Amino acid sequence: MDAQTLVSLGLILATFALYIGISIFNRAKQTSDFYVASRGIPPFWNGMAIGGDWMSAASFIGMAGTVLALGYDGLAYIMGWTGGYLLLTFLLAPQLRKYGRFTVPEFIGDRFDSNPARLIAAIATVIISFTYIIGQLSGSGVVIGRLFSIPAMYGTMIGVVIIAIYATLGGMKGVTWTQVAQYIILIVAYIIPIVFMSLQVSGNPLPWLTYGNVVDEIGAIDQELGLSEYFAPFAESDKSQFIALLFTLMVGTSALPHVIVRFYTVTTMKAARWSGAWALLFIGFLYLSAPAYAAFSRFILMTQVAGQPMDELPGWTDSWINTGLLEIADQDGDGVLDWTEIAVGNDMVVMATPEIANLGMFVIGLVAAGAMAAALSTAGGLLITISSSFAHDIYYRLMNPKATDQRRLNAGRIAIVLSTVVAGLVALDPPGVITQIVAWAFALAGGTFFPVLFLGVWWKRMNSKGAVAGMLVGLASTLCYIFLAMNDIMLFGIQDTGAGVIGVPINFLACVIVSLVTAPPAQHLQDDVIDLRYPEQMTYKDGEVWMNDGTGK
Amino acid sequence: MKKVDKEVADAYFRTRTTLIVIFLSIGFLVSFGVVAFAEFFSQFKFLGVEFHYYMGSQGAVVIFILCLFLNAVLSDNVDKKYGIDDDANASISSGKTVDH
Repeated sequence: MDAQTLVSLGLILATFALYIGISIFNRAKQTSDFYVASRGIPPFWNGMAIGGDWMSAASFIGMAGTVLALGYDGLAYIMGWTGGYLLLTFLLAPQLRKYGRFTVPEFIGDRFDSNPARLIAAIATVIISFTYIIGQLSGSGVVIGRLFSIPAMYGTMIGVVIIAIYATLGGMKGVTWTQVAQYIILIVAYIIPIVFMSLQVSGNPLPWLTYGNVVDEIGAIDQELGLSEYFAPFAESDKSQFIALLFTLMVGTSALPHVIVRFYTVTTMKAARWSGAWALLFIGFLYLSAPAYAAFSRFILMTQVAGQPMDELPGWTDSWINTGLLEIADQDGDGVLDWTEIAVGNDMVVMATPEIANLGMFVIGLVAAGAMAAALSTAGGLLITISSSFAHDIYYRLMNPKATDQRRLNAGRIAIVLSTVVAGLVALDPPGVITQIVAWAFALAGGTFFPVLFLGVWWKRMNSKGAVAGMLVGLASTLCYIFLAMNDIMLFGIQDTGAGVIGVPINFLACVIVSLVTAPPAQHLQDDVIDLRYPEQMTYKDGEVWMNDGTGK
Repeated sequence: MKKVDKEVADAYFRTRTTLIVIFLSIGFLVSFGVVAFAEFFSQFKFLGVEFHYYMGSQGAVVIFILCLFLNAVLSDNVDKKYGIDDDANASISSGKTVDH
């Protein structure tokens, strides 16, 4: 083991110890707080926890690389993954909060008073979270693979074991403070390297203000090389694909079951609004930085690595070639490495950047620890969502309503182990790069849930048959389109990652048409929906609105 | 319990819905709107880079964040105007939650 491996490994282990320490400390505290009315988490901290939960290996490891590779066309990820919080905070979160049931299958089952709808929602939740977790596992594979200079595949195997242990150890309920710690570590790890790079390239420590000029210079170099300019719109894909991807990511973000669950910890509709605002601010720090990452890395690669003689390449190139994510070949045989002869894997950019910019061992180790924090926090949240869908919504509510707590807990643990192992097997040979796999999860979430949740809280006429039809048709059409597009059968140039733009409207149509041709839902279900228009203090009953001013009923 | 006039209740809902529509429209314009006319916006420059690129990488995200905070503040004011007390909301809400 060289010094770098020791430093990186040490930092990763130190942060692990911190997370475990926090969860042990909180577990003790929770027991003592158990009989005290829960006061809820303040929106500021809940926002930070949502940030930790939300920002996954795809955001941390994959996104900057995607922007680097795709230029302007990669920005759909930046706008889509942040814009979704607008839809979520305006259209869904406060209403779902007032309804008072917090897993997506549970809301759907109770709002439409239908067990088939509950079952479909639970199965869809498992499918979506499962797809998402494949991305996290292959992300941890990249980190571990680089750490030990082994192929990412073996890294994934080690990552699967770590994540399965981490999630089954328990202490995952009420992980808010662990996620706050994970947020702080990952954001510090993400921002430090670009501050140094900004200093190196432009002498100004604020990358957000300086990288615009770098983008412009990259465009100029591209032009010299006869490539399409970095910032040119729609150079890598059609405009229709950009818009489809943007739509898919936005709508999917607002309908992801594991994100919606996070609004469980707040107290009121007002707190849900503030949580959404704080969450997007904290998430924004990373998303505003990713394009800077991409620009600086590309600039340094283009100006300092490209153009070097083949036998004088920097040391970091070897270790990345070992992971299989970097390919360089002197195709024209002139002994000099040209920009066009470097194939940079999307998933190595963030991890490799501190090495490319020569930022020293500590920063490299910190980035590795940050990437693990991102993968772990999201994987943990996803596994809990999978296990609660299975243990609570399917096993307890549908199969065995008399099950004891112990049996439900065991059912949840089995679900966690099974899904980690199966997802790990798929992640050994990932069917796409991290951001792409994750985009499928968004297409499925949007295509299955968004119209049903949206109409469920805003349209009282929506009934159970509409919900069942919408979810089935939406899920099926989204899955179909992903498979068709992977095999090059595309509509309007929309690729697999933009499948949500097909699934969501079809789902909407199915919900509305089927609801209208079947009988309206029971009166109390319709009243529940009107009640969601008002804050907690106002209640809708029998066509009248009542204000609870504390004077009894 | 005190009955609320239908007009007052409707006015509350209308005000909140208007806010939602306004902010979502702003969000839509700065993201989808700029993307749809990216070629046109690329002739302008902002902070050293083409305007369509700036909006995609920073402008839209910053405006999204501002929209959410502005909405949170304005909604609090609406609640206050209609005499909603957040502490009362919290205690009502914690009693209603379905717990497992």
